[in-house]
Amino acid sequence: MRAGTSRRCAVAALAVIGLALVAMPVAFDMFARAPKGAQMISAFAPFMTSSRLDGYHADMSAIGGAITDAPNVAQRLFAGPPASSGSRFATAYPSFAAFEREWRGIYPDMTGMIDTIQHNLGNYDAVAALPSFKLFPWFFVLPGAIIIALIALGLRRPGWWRRVSWVLLALGVGLALAPAVFQMFSRAPDGGRMMTAFKPIETHPRVERIQGYFSDIAEGQGAVELQLLPALRRSGLSTSEIATSYPGLTGFDADWVHILNDMTPLIGAMSNNVVNYDAVAALPPFALFPWFFVLPGLLVAGLALAAGPRRSRNAHGAAATDIPHPLTEGVT
Amino acid sequence: MTNRPSRRLRVALIAVSALLVAAAPALATPAKKLKGTFKIGTGSYFRMLEPNGSYFSNPYSTDTGDPTYSPVTAGRDGGLKTGKLQPAPTPAFDANGNSLANLIITPTSFTGINFGLATVGTAPTISVKAGRLSGQLTGYTAEWNNQTFLQGSSTVTGTYNAKTHKYLLTWSSLISGGPFKGFTGDWHLQGKFKAS
Repeated sequence: MRAGTSRRCAVAALAVIGLALVAMPVAFDMFARAPKGAQMISAFAPFMTSSRLDGYHADMSAIGGAITDAPNVAQRLFAGPPASSGSRFATAYPSFAAFEREWRGIYPDMTGMIDTIQHNLGNYDAVAALPSFKLFPWFFVLPGAIIIALIALGLRRPGWWRRVSWVLLALGVGLALAPAVFQMFSRAPDGGRMMTAFKPIETHPRVERIQGYFSDIAEGQGAVELQLLPALRRSGLSTSEIATSYPGLTGFDADWVHILNDMTPLIGAMSNNVVNYDAVAALPPFALFPWFFVLPGLLVAGLALAAGPRRSRNAHGAAATDIPHPLTEGVT
Repeated sequence: MTNRPSRRLRVALIAVSALLVAAAPALATPAKKLKGTFKIGTGSYFRMLEPNGSYFSNPYSTDTGDPTYSPVTAGRDGGLKTGKLQPAPTPAFDANGNSLANLIITPTSFTGINFGLATVGTAPTISVKAGRLSGQLTGYTAEWNNQTFLQGSSTVTGTYNAKTHKYLLTWSSLISGGPFKGFTGDWHLQGKFKAS
């Protein structure tokens, strides 16, 4: 009677776990959110390399070079005390002066952002090495559905219960081991750290601010190409003399198309993925994910053992296969 | 005193009747599809509104007065065709990301890289009714820096003079993805329509 009750409880608990596994992706909206995570990982893939990120730092240095040269350019164009030439320079070239002012804020913000991304390269790689986010909901639904189907099979054909319980045991062990197989214990917390680091970056206000930087930098480059370099030429310098005397200014101008080619796709990826980031951030914390497999797995394995039949020995000492109905055994 | 409301009513009825008579030809005339080329003439331009409400300044604008206006000039087809697509060539960009789509407009510099225009998917349709233009340009795309920006609209509006064939088309299109996500493209095309 007691054994029968405990087996009934074990089977009921297995059914609850199966249903919970099926329901979990729905409860956490994983079918909508997880594919967005996959999109985000894929969208950032072209940028998440050391060489590409070093290139962004180089882009920032190239832009900053024009700012470094500005006082010398001002001196050349408006001879006189530095303060006076600087002031006249700013009046004559307001677009460049505005860019110079904005750059004081742009440079630390942009380099800080690139540093943050760079520091999270390893974390990104860890997440990217996990199975595709698109599959995540199915990692819960499929085991849950299999558990429910097996229980239904065992109830329908009590003679098969023994085999069913072995399959359930194997499934539970598989679930419990899955995080170890996929290295989720290290990779998932890495992903969590990346999500935390990207939180201040992947927001609409931050992306809009960076879009604004692009506007400021473009205006500054326009001033260099269309105003400052022609003014230096008019001052009597040849193209090669300008390049020698003002390498920062000419470097920025020469690199501009490359900088545009480089920067705008990153800004695009950032702006396109704010929604995807939010979707992933709304999932349970990454660090918990391995346990979403381990705990149900251990429970399923334990309950499968508890619900499974035991070989009993008959009066003659021979092994007899007792395959009771898990729900009716012991009921009188 | 008792006559006042009826006099007002009569005046109102006369006014409404007059309006209906005046508007009758317009109401009765069905919209006519304009199939041909909206030639892009002087005064056509593109502007980009930033999410903060200010217009993006294009230092390479050929507009001498205001760099937030980027004037556009006719391409190889002379302008925008209705009832027919004007796709981008293959490849669509040169090595620097300059657009090679030169059928609608001559690619023109935007921050140092040329943008061009193309139509993809559904061919543009524009109709005229009583001098008013309406239609859709859902497949209108701007091509710039190796990227394609859907810049069409399902509700373009404008005016058309059947005698002079002069037209004016305007619409706005929110950029839904990429580096300018959240920006709005304002398009203003004008010139003469040439039926095909």
